[in-house]
Amino acid sequence: MGGSDAISLTREPDYWIGRFVAMACPCEVLIDSTTEALARAVVDCVSECAWRIERKFSRYRQDNVVHRINTSNGQPTLVDDETARLLDFSATLTALSEGRFDITSGILRKAWTFDGGTHVPAQADIDALLDRVGWHKVQWNRPALQLQPGMQIDFGGIGKEYAVDAAARLADGAVPGLGCVVNFGGDVAVVNERRDRQPWKIGIESADRTGTVTQIVPLTRGALATSGDSRRFVLHAGRRYSHILDARTGWPVEDAPRTITVAADTCTQAGTLTTLAMLNGARAESFLEDSGAKYWLQ
Amino acid sequence: MNEKSSLNAALAAATCALLGTSAPASAADDAPQRWSFDTSLLYYGESDDRVKDISAAISAQRDFDDDRQLSLNLTADTLTGASASGATSLDRAQTFTSPSGKATYSTPAGEVPLDDTFKDTRFALSGSWTQPLARLYTVSGGLGFSTEYDYTHMGANASLARDFNKRNTTLSFSVAYSQDDIKPVGGAPIPLSQMLDVGDLRNKRNDASKDVLDLLLGFTQVLGRNTVLRVNYSYSDSSGYLNDPYKLLSVVDPATGDTMTRVAAGGQGPNGIYRYEKRPDSRTKQGIYAEMKHAFGAPVLQLSYRFMTDDWGIDSNTLETRLRWPLGADNFIEPQLRYYTQSEADFYRSSLVAGQPLPEYASADFRLGKFDAVTLGVKFGHRTAAGNEWSTRLEYYQQSGDIPGDQVIGRQAAREQYPDLSAVIVQFGYRFGL
Repeated sequence: MGGSDAISLTREPDYWIGRFVAMACPCEVLIDSTTEALARAVVDCVSECAWRIERKFSRYRQDNVVHRINTSNGQPTLVDDETARLLDFSATLTALSEGRFDITSGILRKAWTFDGGTHVPAQADIDALLDRVGWHKVQWNRPALQLQPGMQIDFGGIGKEYAVDAAARLADGAVPGLGCVVNFGGDVAVVNERRDRQPWKIGIESADRTGTVTQIVPLTRGALATSGDSRRFVLHAGRRYSHILDARTGWPVEDAPRTITVAADTCTQAGTLTTLAMLNGARAESFLEDSGAKYWLQ
Repeated sequence: MNEKSSLNAALAAATCALLGTSAPASAADDAPQRWSFDTSLLYYGESDDRVKDISAAISAQRDFDDDRQLSLNLTADTLTGASASGATSLDRAQTFTSPSGKATYSTPAGEVPLDDTFKDTRFALSGSWTQPLARLYTVSGGLGFSTEYDYTHMGANASLARDFNKRNTTLSFSVAYSQDDIKPVGGAPIPLSQMLDVGDLRNKRNDASKDVLDLLLGFTQVLGRNTVLRVNYSYSDSSGYLNDPYKLLSVVDPATGDTMTRVAAGGQGPNGIYRYEKRPDSRTKQGIYAEMKHAFGAPVLQLSYRFMTDDWGIDSNTLETRLRWPLGADNFIEPQLRYYTQSEADFYRSSLVAGQPLPEYASADFRLGKFDAVTLGVKFGHRTAAGNEWSTRLEYYQQSGDIPGDQVIGRQAAREQYPDLSAVIVQFGYRFGL
């Protein structure tokens, strides 16, 4: 991972496009027409930012802060400022979602397999895991985080959107005023307007990733985030359960839209709205309608 | 609602804390609110000193919050030159009474008669407002007005569009209605009446009007990231005075095909027999238009086809292709090729035959005849460092038509009956924002 050989930079009609892979998804940066050197400078700092955040917050690595927290075995862990800000943000989301969203709910995936099949875990297994889920069981006194033994955290629900916004800020710092788009697997932020003030046409790959159905969204400013994946669900008793788990019950949300795309000022806000909407299940659309956000459902 | 706005506020504050930024202005405050302008200057010149048109246009758009948009357009046109009157060419000089009825003009032997008193200045102003309506609908409405010394146009239009299928499909419906008042120079001639001597206005009426209703059903489909398909069905219904008050038909000898001669009183009038054209007082047109745009990486190819048919018997086909090719980061070149072909109207005839009863309708206007036209063009565009764009377009238009063989009588076969037409179009455009 990393290195300039992992980045491709190509010329499109009136912009550059840089591509790389980070956080297990295809990432791209569109850069309004400029010199190749400036385009490369932007792509380099965006990809470096994505890889840095992936290294730092991936729950699959053993050399980062998440691993230290998850293996702390009931002992407090001191965290740096960036991690603290993510923890504060997560706590706010938990409050806003009345407990449905929770960064300690990742261990529920030990019980659930979202492969489109019909397997549903035994309630006893879910209950056993739920004992170790819940932000209210955590001691968070910045900068010290203390989980109960066996608890884990996972920034999967917010990390990618945060990375998009962080990378977008760096891109603007690298070449101030230059128009570009940061797109990490469909989570998108626009950095500055294009010179001709035409909107960027953002293609969102369809949820089933067949590549045949895409969604073209014109965007002059702000950000987009998409949540959902139509292959990741469970069918049970005639109902379709999405892969989004309600941390209060340990059960997936029922009857949520397959895919929600939301436009907002920042990718983090857009991503949060998609997640909160998903957690509202069948009421996702009325939630979005009330929020006043611009959204697309699938 | 309050609950939700407090959610939005809490979310915005939490995001700012996370990203270490100051609170962003609300979306409404920093939405793009500015004017953008599109200006152009166009020259159209037909060969052989026929019609010349110089047109200047400026359009202004202003974006408001929530995707609302105001658009205003102003155009000024100056037309000069001469257009074919419809009378046939002859081996002798021809004299006509001018449309005003106050003078005569002549066409030398062997030349296609042109009405060279043709000169006009037109001003047109239109405005429209577009805004979203509910979540997936867009509605727009507009008004238009134009005036020239013998013509006044007033129109209104409205459209409604709805997005489907994750906004990859858009269906739209629009309706436009216009009312045009026509005050021809010297009055509107009574259809099929004979051209009279100077000062004799017995065959002229005052003015006339027509109404036009247009309906359009549009379908746009995004076929992937690089391809867009658009299909339109159009319906247009015109009624009222649909004649061109300046178009004539020669009344010819059934054997020789020459225009019947006439002696003007005091020499102040036509030296042949000519009648004013007569078209039906209604016309229904229907059309299908399909357009595909595809981006092959950098270059963008556009292909379009249009079929139109009307109850006057005119069917037309238009095939057009453009290829936009980038030259470096800031320039592009766009070659264009268009082919147009149409059949003639049922009542098209190059002349009227003396001694035969007058037909119900008749016109010798070449624009209602059978013809083909090819347009070859190229556009060059440059984008400035500030994001503004200027462009230059050059087009060459070549038209050639045919008179149906059974309408060519006697000596007419030896003369040019449907003169070829060529024209050059040069356009400069500049697009900028404030």
